[in-house]
Amino acid sequence: MRTDEMRNDIPKTSFWRRQMSGVRDFGKGIFDKIKAIYEKRKLQINLIIILLLLVFPYLARSNYIMGIACRMLMYSVLAGSLNVINGYSGQFNIGHAGFFLIGAYTEAIFATQFGISFWPLLAVSGAFAAIVGFLISLPTLRLRGIYLAIVTLGFSEILRVIALNWSSVTGGAMGIKSIPSPTFFGMTISNSSNYYYIFLFIAILFLAVTGRVLKSRVGRAWISIREDEAAARSLGVETRFYKSINFMYGAFWAGVAGAAFAPYYRFIASDMFTLDEGFNILSMVIIGGQGTLVGPLVGSIIVNLITEVFRFAARYRMVVYATLIIVMMWWRPQGLVGAYDSVFAIKKSQRKPVRMASAKEAGEE
Amino acid sequence: MEYFIAQIVNGLAQGSIYALMAIGYSVVVGVVGLVTFTHGEVIMLGAYASYYAFTFVGENIFLGIIAAFFASWFIGIFVYKICYERFFDSPRHISLICTIGMSMLLKNLAQIVFGPNMKAMPQPIALNFVNVLGVRINTIQILIIFVVLSLSLGLYIVNNKTQWGIRLRAVSQDKQASALMGINVRRTAMIGNSIGCSLGGVAGMLIAIYYQSILPTMGGSLGLKAFSSAVLGGLTEASASALGGLLIGLIENLGTSVLSNSYRDVFAFIFLVLVLIIKPEGFSKKVGG
Repeated sequence: MRTDEMRNDIPKTSFWRRQMSGVRDFGKGIFDKIKAIYEKRKLQINLIIILLLLVFPYLARSNYIMGIACRMLMYSVLAGSLNVINGYSGQFNIGHAGFFLIGAYTEAIFATQFGISFWPLLAVSGAFAAIVGFLISLPTLRLRGIYLAIVTLGFSEILRVIALNWSSVTGGAMGIKSIPSPTFFGMTISNSSNYYYIFLFIAILFLAVTGRVLKSRVGRAWISIREDEAAARSLGVETRFYKSINFMYGAFWAGVAGAAFAPYYRFIASDMFTLDEGFNILSMVIIGGQGTLVGPLVGSIIVNLITEVFRFAARYRMVVYATLIIVMMWWRPQGLVGAYDSVFAIKKSQRKPVRMASAKEAGEE
Repeated sequence: MEYFIAQIVNGLAQGSIYALMAIGYSVVVGVVGLVTFTHGEVIMLGAYASYYAFTFVGENIFLGIIAAFFASWFIGIFVYKICYERFFDSPRHISLICTIGMSMLLKNLAQIVFGPNMKAMPQPIALNFVNVLGVRINTIQILIIFVVLSLSLGLYIVNNKTQWGIRLRAVSQDKQASALMGINVRRTAMIGNSIGCSLGGVAGMLIAIYYQSILPTMGGSLGLKAFSSAVLGGLTEASASALGGLLIGLIENLGTSVLSNSYRDVFAFIFLVLVLIIKPEGFSKKVGG
């Protein structure tokens, strides 16, 4: 019996086809093993990683490296929050730069014009981005993903146009200059090695909170919507409510990341938040792996490393990302760390066998 | 009053360009069945093809149309081969992300190859003003309306009177059934995609002539406008999409005469959101994408 099945598995395809399927199935065993080890000693491993990250500035001793680390952490929050929307609820947002812009401008305007301190503004900017995210998601809640994709794309571009032209508030093309650095118990946090801790704090907070949320009732509702919206609704999941909650959650963290970004560079202008910035964040999520918590982190590290290594060829940067996105879609649509049986994998037959079995029992297959 | 009539004429001329883009978009989505994000970049590349034809060969409008048409036809094949052909049986978002990657790739390659700066578009016909029923219309606007009408008519004839058109319509209605009827679905979808892209490319040439300038990054907002217009036709209905394009052109020109010109792109977005709130399925029975 078993041999018959195995004989069917013998590939009749070309050499390259086989190599490609090797790429696609990469990590079939390795990631499961890593995951098992991690699950066993979760607390210890987490503590060790956090400790290493905490002493990292003293090991690196270089503002340049810390600058890269800051960017990696910031983008991992941005990519992670985009992943909550795209990867966990199956909605499709490609204008994430818009929420990033809202966060950054909210912080910059309140800090420069009203002199409000940095820490409350983190939450305020996030909340503001979440409200805007709610408004954006309203017209498309009943529609399929593509409409939301276009609305977010247009929205991101429109926000940039408004930021560019509404000079009295946003400074227009000149941007907002000399945004005050945050203070922590009287200590001004200005250079990258110190600012690193702010980004680290936000990133750890984001990962911890998101990890909890995804295991909660809300997270399960998001995942059920991603898997099958009609089935989720028939099981009593209020899909529209959870979809807009999901969108607000993603927008909130993008806003927080934006609020942390503005005083780090001390200067923001509308051309930092172009559509390419949104695509940049999207490429991190896709390269790392949608629907996994670590995927966007890995994607952020890889993309930022590519940016640094190919700094001499900055013109070709976006070409490289674009090619990477297409290559990932061809051979590994679930991303680098995505499981081979993830919903994002290319063939439906490679999904979890449980689903197949239940479908067979129902007599559909 | 006269000013507003002039704005309405401008709006109609510009709107008919958007209409052509939207028709192209709805043909692509209708036949291929997958949504595209590369349409704006195809439009931009069509405009560049005609720019180089004008610069290196001669300033003849027919030459420009042919160059834009066939350049976008081949780009359409390229996009089809990379973004759609493998992914008909896969989850939808894969081809969607692939078209996003393709749009990034084309835009940034164009910036490298053509240079990132704005260039002046050659004017193939002289700019004159004509009085029609007391309304001043310039020759470029007449040219635009003429080209758009003749291409739409051509599409109508191809769609309704030829073998190709029958196949295209069959594939857009039901891929499996048309495969069973002996239609080569992949090939037909490729041709349909190329037709849609070509219409977009010619529209790109027209908008470059209308604005008298050309820019590698102009595709983004134009693609958004093409999509917004096509939403009125449920993304697949060509005639309603054309109406959407005309409406966006009118709203834009009347809006910019009230508000500042720098908010031009905002109106298409407002139109999109309004359509999605009021009539999200558009004027179409079959919703594509």
